[in-house]
Amino acid sequence: MNRARRMPVKLLMQLSWRNIWRHRRRNAILLSAIAIAVTGVTLLNMMMRGMQQDMMNTAIENLTGHVKILAPGYRDDPGIERGFEVVEGWQTALPGGVQGWAKRIRVPAVVMSERETRGIQLLGVDPVRESISFLGDATVDGERLAGPGDSRLLVGGLLTEALDTAPGRRLVLVTQGADGRTREAGFRIAGVYRAEIAGLEKAFVFTGLEALQQLLGTDKITEISIRLDHEDLEAPTIAGLTGSVENLDVLSWRELEPQAASMVEISDMAIYILFVIVMGALVFGLVNTLVTAVMERLRELGMLRAIGMRPRVVVAQVVVESSIIMAIGVATGLMLAAAMFAFVADGIDLTAFDDSLASFGMRPTFVPVFDIRDVVLVVVLSLALSVLASFYPARRAVKIKPLDALRR
Amino acid sequence: MVVECRDVSRTYDDDAVPVHALRGVDFQLAAGEWVSLAGPSGSGKSTLLHVIGGLDQPTTGSVVVDGVEVTALSAAQLSDLRLDKIGFVFQSYNLIPVLSALENVEFILQLQGVDRAERRSRSREALHSLGLSDLENRRPGEMSGGQQQRVAIARAIVTEPVLLLADEPSANLDTSTTRELLEVLQSLNRERGVTILTATHDPMVMGYTTRQVNLRDGNVVGDNA
Repeated sequence: MNRARRMPVKLLMQLSWRNIWRHRRRNAILLSAIAIAVTGVTLLNMMMRGMQQDMMNTAIENLTGHVKILAPGYRDDPGIERGFEVVEGWQTALPGGVQGWAKRIRVPAVVMSERETRGIQLLGVDPVRESISFLGDATVDGERLAGPGDSRLLVGGLLTEALDTAPGRRLVLVTQGADGRTREAGFRIAGVYRAEIAGLEKAFVFTGLEALQQLLGTDKITEISIRLDHEDLEAPTIAGLTGSVENLDVLSWRELEPQAASMVEISDMAIYILFVIVMGALVFGLVNTLVTAVMERLRELGMLRAIGMRPRVVVAQVVVESSIIMAIGVATGLMLAAAMFAFVADGIDLTAFDDSLASFGMRPTFVPVFDIRDVVLVVVLSLALSVLASFYPARRAVKIKPLDALRR
Repeated sequence: MVVECRDVSRTYDDDAVPVHALRGVDFQLAAGEWVSLAGPSGSGKSTLLHVIGGLDQPTTGSVVVDGVEVTALSAAQLSDLRLDKIGFVFQSYNLIPVLSALENVEFILQLQGVDRAERRSRSREALHSLGLSDLENRRPGEMSGGQQQRVAIARAIVTEPVLLLADEPSANLDTSTTRELLEVLQSLNRERGVTILTATHDPMVMGYTTRQVNLRDGNVVGDNA
């Protein structure tokens, strides 16, 4: 009599499934609520992930890369005096999964046209290597830079408007040379670039790396930006480089763009908080339905115990019933979310909010991102919540003595 | 002895005034007997039946069913005792509404962990012995009261319990259906040797039983053994 009995899983599934069909309307309403909540949460997760991805990509493509090598102190006081040289073959320390890297000089400068003057960041680049930054995809009116020796300028559209100039015309650049003296030179505008983030057009002016080195009187560079296939490769890349580029800082984009990194972390938290709020509210509905179902069937549950069903099996039956309802609701919700995702997978045009989005480092076309980890989170947490929600009604079902239940 | 009750008392303290449902009852039930516990409402017959079936705990005294001291068992052990040794027939049938007649009978064997082929054959045999072969796929709502009570009996006997407890089994049945039911119980008792204990105040039921124990105010006041 005291032998251990196995949980009659098939029996519980059969009973629970049929019990669900006993109250079709009530369970249909509950299922719809779960499905709508899951659809909403999943779509919101996709939007949040899209926003997160967008902020991250913008930060990385904004000349930062996943990893950057800088001289110590450059971030506090950027200038050519913080330039450095790297030994030949430094890149052999890079692990696999590197999309590309680019050496640059970045110095503060003043640009003058016949009519206006502006403070800018002047960058000397090798145009071929800039496929890793926004410059690679930017549309250009006029000509692109031909190579590192090209001494013409690539100027942002908004800056061009502000300076009231155009491709083919000349601009004067003033900056500090490697010897600490002011350098001033005239440059012709090769082309005008357009960036998805308008702020970049005002901030950056590009010229050839070697041309800028010549102007500054140095062979040094101020940064090496490295783009990886995936963010997960950051840690091994930093570890690999730290040993090989001595006396230099090897930093991740999160350290270089702390504001964007915090936004990414906040949106991560927001996903979890949103899920807990929506699903938490739903749990009350589930508990209410289950309590009603249990109270209605109290006599029947008492009879099951009277004929020999163990209390834990009664608890399991309530839990299985609740889990089946939740599983169907979650599956329906995910299918609805997938169908809706298919409509917006190519992106949502938010050009009308361009200025506001730019302040968050986002592009005007918003692309939702499907992340399987979020789906797993929704499934696992929903089922866990349904088990938790069913505990109270299940406890009520077994707390009452079978005889008292039968007398109802 | 299948059942041995010694000095069993049951007092309910739910209200301000204690209610003595049983007052030091001594009762034995031998294998193969069909005993009716008789008496007016409040005499303690249902309480004694429930105490023997492990659905209620005596306040004092000892209850032994098939050699097992019932008062010493946990809730889970009591469930196992009811599942393995006792068959229950309730006055309001208490079948599971979402299961067919066959599934209702099979249900209890599923709880015992009997494999599918065996439980199907045993359940069909139990339904057949009660003349319910044609109704095996019907759900309780599609059967008459008498048919439902026979399904409940089939469910109670399919595990071959040492004791069949029937609490007012004829309460919701008309005279002819009650007679049919009693003949079924009589045949189970006579031909298969099933030990039956019935709580009833129906004289027709008492007429079928082999022994009658009368209770009044929680005491045994008569036994025609």
